[in-house]
Amino acid sequence: MSATHDASWVADELAGKHLVITGFTGFLAKVYVALILEHVPDIGRITLLVRPRSARKRALQRVEEAFDTSPVFRRLRAQHGRDIGRWLGGRVHAVDADIEKPLCGLDAAALERLGSADLVVHSAGLTDFSPDPLRALAVNVAGAMHAADLAKALEVPHVHVSTCYVAGVNDGECPEELQIGVAPNGTPFDAAAEVRALQMACRRGEGAKTTKGRIDIGMERAERLGWPNIYTYTKGLAEHLVGLDEDATIVRPAIVECARSFPFPGWNEGLNTAGPLAWLISTAFRELPTRPDNRFDIIPVDDVARGLATISAAALQGRAGGVFQLASSDINPLRFGRTVELTGLAMRRWVRKGGGQATDRVLQHLDPVPVAKQGFFNTDRLRRWTREAKELLDDERPSWLQRVAGGTLDSLRDQAVDTDKQLKRIDDMLDLYRPFIETHDWTFHTDRLRALQPSEGPFCADVEGIDWRHYWVDVEYPGLRTWCMPVLHGEKPPRDPASMPPLRIETETVLLRAASK
Amino acid sequence: MTRPVAFFRLEGVLLPRPASLAAAWLAANAQELSRRLGSLSAVAASAPFSLGLGDPAVGARLAWMGLRGMSEDRLEVLGEEYWATHLDDKLRAAGVDLVNQAKKDGRVVVLVSDHLEPIARHAQKAVKADLLVANRMELRDGKATGRLLDPVVARFGGRPLRDFVAEHDLDLDGARAYGAASSDQVLLAAIPWPCAVHPDRGLRRVARDLDWPIVES
Repeated sequence: MSATHDASWVADELAGKHLVITGFTGFLAKVYVALILEHVPDIGRITLLVRPRSARKRALQRVEEAFDTSPVFRRLRAQHGRDIGRWLGGRVHAVDADIEKPLCGLDAAALERLGSADLVVHSAGLTDFSPDPLRALAVNVAGAMHAADLAKALEVPHVHVSTCYVAGVNDGECPEELQIGVAPNGTPFDAAAEVRALQMACRRGEGAKTTKGRIDIGMERAERLGWPNIYTYTKGLAEHLVGLDEDATIVRPAIVECARSFPFPGWNEGLNTAGPLAWLISTAFRELPTRPDNRFDIIPVDDVARGLATISAAALQGRAGGVFQLASSDINPLRFGRTVELTGLAMRRWVRKGGGQATDRVLQHLDPVPVAKQGFFNTDRLRRWTREAKELLDDERPSWLQRVAGGTLDSLRDQAVDTDKQLKRIDDMLDLYRPFIETHDWTFHTDRLRALQPSEGPFCADVEGIDWRHYWVDVEYPGLRTWCMPVLHGEKPPRDPASMPPLRIETETVLLRAASK
Repeated sequence: MTRPVAFFRLEGVLLPRPASLAAAWLAANAQELSRRLGSLSAVAASAPFSLGLGDPAVGARLAWMGLRGMSEDRLEVLGEEYWATHLDDKLRAAGVDLVNQAKKDGRVVVLVSDHLEPIARHAQKAVKADLLVANRMELRDGKATGRLLDPVVARFGGRPLRDFVAEHDLDLDGARAYGAASSDQVLLAAIPWPCAVHPDRGLRRVARDLDWPIVES
């Protein structure tokens, strides 16, 4: 076994180091931090740059709340019990920051306190597919630049988390490289000029007064360069700017989904790509327009966190730089046709084990199928029918009919309205996902991480060994139902109850404050 | 050194249901609704063979042929579901006692089943059998071709039995076998210590004629 493949080299390298991390409140960064804290307990320090939400909820309170109630940290809480606040205090620092501001909004004093930093990992980002472009520019582009500038100011290496889908329409074989100044469709462009042009168009262009108008402007500009949505467009622009610094390390995960094993199987947070698709298949909508042989490039969040930790360690050694892709499509591809079938099978198992509602018990027997084109019961036709039904029910009714069945007819009308809304949501979702599930087929190369990572241990991302059947049916689908579906239904996902008294990270400042009181 | 062995037919001895019902259930749960009817027709065509008319191996091939085009994922996931919902609680106590006795006697327990492996595997786990001989579907690119791989278990005996015994270092001379249907005669006749458990009419007659022990619960 070579030295670089030794199981402990990542932990050895990270030990005693000071990492500065953005995006801690997001899905990936929390798993990354939890993984490092659990497997590198002698980490020097982790500084989390977090945006204060209000005067009462500053970075420290947000971080404490996450450590106290997020299921990601269950293991850590169980391991340290009541001592966790003190234990974290020696390792984790929370700093008020704002990535939308230069140097992430840190003043000279804050920068001085970060003087011992060894690495900046920028994981913050807006993952909505079609956000307001101005917002996406502020977070995904300006945020990335500010994090890069911070790393420069601290004179430390910088790891920027992007996405494989910056490849845009350039599908097929996607190597781990970035051709600065060349858009996915091959058009030469200047990223800085494009950012300015987009800002200008979104501030002064026709239709720029409304969010929808700005989204249309952003989509048009994105498509002109070969990006299918505003998310990949702004992440792509950020890469072209960050990548100007040859020492920068760009990490591109594919579709980040439920954890395979860490912190526990099925862990997920917020709305990710597969959640809405699984929701779609769990509705009465049974035909998913997709090409069955296209790759659905899923990678579990813990494998991404493992890869990111390995790349961080390599960056500390000066062995990273350039682009790393974390994906499954090149070594263990999962196809859409298979995913659709596995989702139906997973739903059956979920229902059999007591999950789901009455409709799920019926739908489990009507398996979803991938289709080239929607059939007779397509969403357009169904929406027309529901609208006609609503109009019919809206018509003035004879008094006798109103007397006999007025209530029932009103409730049917409401149902028609709800169904129409649901169908519109399905239509919108299909439009949003079409480039990923139907139009393009990407194979993302991942040789660089595999050459670098330990062959075993907590930092080995064994993507090749993923048994997709087991993962999808027993891990991913139950995970989505537990952690994502509530969000899709406008509810809050489960959280762990806060400890009593609530967890407090006992930093030096807090201890000093307590002593002075 | 060879090991003492006991063969148990899953269908009849341990389970009251024939494998053709599993084939029908899987066919009725094909992914596409349009395919379900066609698959069920193939299983229906095998019914006369299940009733003892004609070669049971042909019947087994016909029944499982209906699953042509079904994915390996589906066979595995639904195999587990079929076991859990239709078979798990139907294990016959008398059969399970015989398995436990064989294990107590230090015998290698071999389960012989007409079911497909993704179903029979759960039976093997449930009774803690050491080895399993079950029907295997030929798969190509993750999809069932509808063809059963040889040997088809319907008439397990003769050459496949001898090969199996040799492969696993089993002692055929002191072997025991437990069967329940007429089609099990091939297996029972090849074993020095055969036993009929809940036998059907055909096997009961043979067992009486040949003086094989009969176990009824």
